Amino acid sequence: MPDILFIIDHDRELAQALAVYLRRQQFEILLADSGKTTMEMAHSASRPAIVLVDPHFPETDPLAFLQRLKDRLPQSQFIIYGPSDTLEKIMETFNTSALTYIRKPVSSVELDFALKKAGEWIAIEAKHQKITNEIKELQSAKILLQQLFDEVPCYITVQDRNFRVTATNRLFKRDFGNDIGGYCYQIYKHRDTPCTHCPVAATFQDGRRHQTEEIVTAKSGTPYHVLTWTAPIRNEAGDITQVMEMATNITQIRQLQDHLTSLGLMLGSMSHGIKGMLTALDGGIYLLETGIARQDPARTAKAFDQVRKMVTQIRKMVLDILYFTKSRELQYQKVVLHDLVESISAVIQPSANRHNILFTITTPPEPVTMEIDPDRLREALINFLENAVDACTSDQHRKSHHILFDARVTGDDHVCFEISDDGLGMDRETKEKMFTLFFSSKGSSGTGLGLFIANHVIGQHGGAIQVESEINKGSRFIICIPRTNGKP
Amino acid sequence: MKKILIIEDDPAVSDYLKTFFEDNGYAAFTAANAQSGYDLAKQEQPDLITLDIELPDEWGPRFYRKLAGDKNLKNTPLIVISGLSGNKYAVTKAVASLSKPFDRNELLKIVKETIG
Repeated sequence: MPDILFIIDHDRELAQALAVYLRRQQFEILLADSGKTTMEMAHSASRPAIVLVDPHFPETDPLAFLQRLKDRLPQSQFIIYGPSDTLEKIMETFNTSALTYIRKPVSSVELDFALKKAGEWIAIEAKHQKITNEIKELQSAKILLQQLFDEVPCYITVQDRNFRVTATNRLFKRDFGNDIGGYCYQIYKHRDTPCTHCPVAATFQDGRRHQTEEIVTAKSGTPYHVLTWTAPIRNEAGDITQVMEMATNITQIRQLQDHLTSLGLMLGSMSHGIKGMLTALDGGIYLLETGIARQDPARTAKAFDQVRKMVTQIRKMVLDILYFTKSRELQYQKVVLHDLVESISAVIQPSANRHNILFTITTPPEPVTMEIDPDRLREALINFLENAVDACTSDQHRKSHHILFDARVTGDDHVCFEISDDGLGMDRETKEKMFTLFFSSKGSSGTGLGLFIANHVIGQHGGAIQVESEINKGSRFIICIPRTNGKP
Repeated sequence: MKKILIIEDDPAVSDYLKTFFEDNGYAAFTAANAQSGYDLAKQEQPDLITLDIELPDEWGPRFYRKLAGDKNLKNTPLIVISGLSGNKYAVTKAVASLSKPFDRNELLKIVKETIG
């Protein structure tokens, strides 16, 4: 499409002569010979690329006219011509707003030169516009990518060969901090050395994606189950320079699974009892049937009694299971602290004696009553103490060991149980993971269930567990629970 | 009258078995643990023994080995009645192994086929 050239001149004959000349140079020409028609045409849809204008009209001020025209056609290149005496004044005022100025009478050489210059300008302008658009698109694409990176509901890290984190997304920063340059294993697991089965290392080695499930610890101290995927990032030569790791938090799913697993374990352990009850119920029904058939009231009464007893037992068991599926509630009772401690030590003392462990108990001098679920809490505390015994028997550093079990009442009406041993002690990783289901530091001799359930029970009592431990020095657990049940 | 010894620690279940056997023309007596079961077996010389595998004082299969070591008792037919799955492997020489809750007609059929 040819560029539009707008010729504006009071002298219509000169304008037409210019038009003839310029049409030959492949311009499409618009013509105006008065201020009024100029403004009308400037309003019309066709935008001229070049405006060739002599602003001298009898009825208007040339400068004001030019200014108005320039406002109307901001994109057009202006070539202003006129008599030399007034042109200089226009040049001073209008300055670089026009591309160039030509004195009247117009020489064809000057005009050609000016038009050529205008053509170049227009080309540059077009190119400039195109580049500007491209940059804009790139920027919005970059913003979109950054948003995607940030908003993905996973923890994303980019890591170098040393597992140093070079980029992270928003969710990661929220839960694990803004620690660019730190090591993955430090940030996620608080380890001093890389993990043994690292998916990032595997991806660096074979260039494939790898998937693992990990337990990591957020900056708040909360452990999260995460499913991690890794993918290689390559440079232009195709070498893997970094690896991206995406970790999805599946803690909730795992918690649900834990719950179902414990339900399964419970049902498994109950199945023997259930079978016994069903057999006894069968017996009751048999006695009832034969008692009625033989019109034997003694047998019928006995049978009825048995059926009722069994139905009550089965009912209780089914309700227990249903309770558990909804996270069972505690059965609070008023208990004397000393009795609780004594019943616990009756279990621990014999095994402490067997392993040559000095087991010391301290309790407050005055009697203390507390509201707890005695069965559950007792189980939980025994679990901690049994672990203490294990920690001592597995420790070869000392010949004899000492376990302290102390119960005391604190100023804020809590009962605190302190269980300390001078056994193996734990590293930081064990300390952080010990309350998660199926985590065991004891290899095949641990089930990974004990502390998970104990922690759950303490939590149900509104209590808290504080752990201090050092390798080869021993561990100390302080378990504090409210003395009375706060719930109405 | 043929004699059946019931070794079973759950009183409701042993009572059920005793009544059921008596109703069907057998003499039945019960023991709640392995030791008294062994003593009673020696004393009464039963024609058949029913045995629960999980007993408070002894594991059923061990009790059976003890029984098999006694020349007067080693040929006494044995029926295992237990809540444990896979119990048929526990006492391989048993006449039958029934899982709780068992079908009493099936039990009676086995008893009749074994001792009449």
